[in-house]
Amino acid sequence: MSRPVLATSEEGARPARLDRDRGLVEAARRDPSRFDALYRKYLAQVYSYSYYELRDHHAAEDATERVFMQALAGLPRFEERVDAFIASRPVTAASGSASDMADISTFRVWLFRIARNVVANERRTDRRRPVSPLEDAIGLHAPDDVAETVAAREAGSAAWQAVARLPEDRRRAVILRFVDEMSTAEIAAVLGRSEGAVRVLLHRALRSVAEDLRRQLS
Amino acid sequence: MPGSATRNARRTERYLDGLVAADERRAAEIPVDTDMDPAIRVAARQLRAGLVRVHPSFRFEEALAARLAAAADRMKAGLPAELPSAPVAGGTLTAFRGTGAAVADLGVVVVGAAVAESAATPPIGLSHSAATVVRGLTDVAARPRRPLIVGGVGVASAAISLGAVYVAWRHSHPTSGRMSRAVRAAHGRVSHSGRRGSGVVNEILGVVS
Repeated sequence: MSRPVLATSEEGARPARLDRDRGLVEAARRDPSRFDALYRKYLAQVYSYSYYELRDHHAAEDATERVFMQALAGLPRFEERVDAFIASRPVTAASGSASDMADISTFRVWLFRIARNVVANERRTDRRRPVSPLEDAIGLHAPDDVAETVAAREAGSAAWQAVARLPEDRRRAVILRFVDEMSTAEIAAVLGRSEGAVRVLLHRALRSVAEDLRRQLS
Repeated sequence: MPGSATRNARRTERYLDGLVAADERRAAEIPVDTDMDPAIRVAARQLRAGLVRVHPSFRFEEALAARLAAAADRMKAGLPAELPSAPVAGGTLTAFRGTGAAVADLGVVVVGAAVAESAATPPIGLSHSAATVVRGLTDVAARPRRPLIVGGVGVASAAISLGAVYVAWRHSHPTSGRMSRAVRAAHGRVSHSGRRGSGVVNEILGVVS
């Protein structure tokens, strides 16, 4: 969680929010071997993102390794900009995302920007890689009930097939939203788009998925 | 006043936030905006259930952790975090030492590093790789020669010679103990050829006692 603290400025004291990963980031900057904590925290998220984007375990592992290596090497250059991040987005009652501010990690946004670039490079350099279905991912957390497992697997498979058919930017937004549980603000920062654009992107993606699922059922 | 697309997008966002919050507190009820398209709600629930987070294998996790730790150690030592990747293609031609005249007869070993592609145009009649060999040889010839190291044959020969000298010396310097005198007396009774034999050995080796 980000911690509100008082930051002094020329106008006087004002509340400022700190990156929720600030402690871990600072420790890793002082001693690079402490990067391990950040690595363990975000490994599954980065790997999932890579896996859903590349649809291949080995490619996802390669991409994940590259992401964390680049993050470790670039950590001295990382700048925490949580204040600027918040200031760039007006918090209104309509946005309904004031709680997002408590969950912001500019480190995570920075890490996923690296991931986005690495995955984009991977896709660009190896377009001919055979694409395997992602059913393996569905049902990893299999409950004891076999019928429920099968139903969940079918639903997951149908959902994934619908997502896989989405255009690249919508698919990416959906993965960041549903798999990595990012807020709209974080997705906007990762994708380099405005929050409004991301909102519309997600809405249209869901509408496409809904139509696709309806077609599959019929 | 926002347009209908923006309003619908905000409704969807609120619903998604509610979906995540309900999961976090394990609540079945999710606040729903009645104006929201029910098909989108179903799709959102299905994606929420279907798109699970995937964890890599434990072996991969630990292997990457070890590589990151090694990279961190390199950073602490002031070195770059990532090792320069070894080039896959190409190789360096390393010539065995020899004279520059016998270029054609020289053995060449590819040791697996990159050939400098910025090399000058090769001399006429030589391929690019052969030209690289020639350039390497001129460098080798310019270096001072290393001293000759005598191998195992010389060492063994010297050891045998020293052993023979020691045996001859022991023959010519009999010990003066009581037991030794008895042995020599008994040996002398059986045969006198031993003395003569030692004399021959002394003559052969040229050892003067």
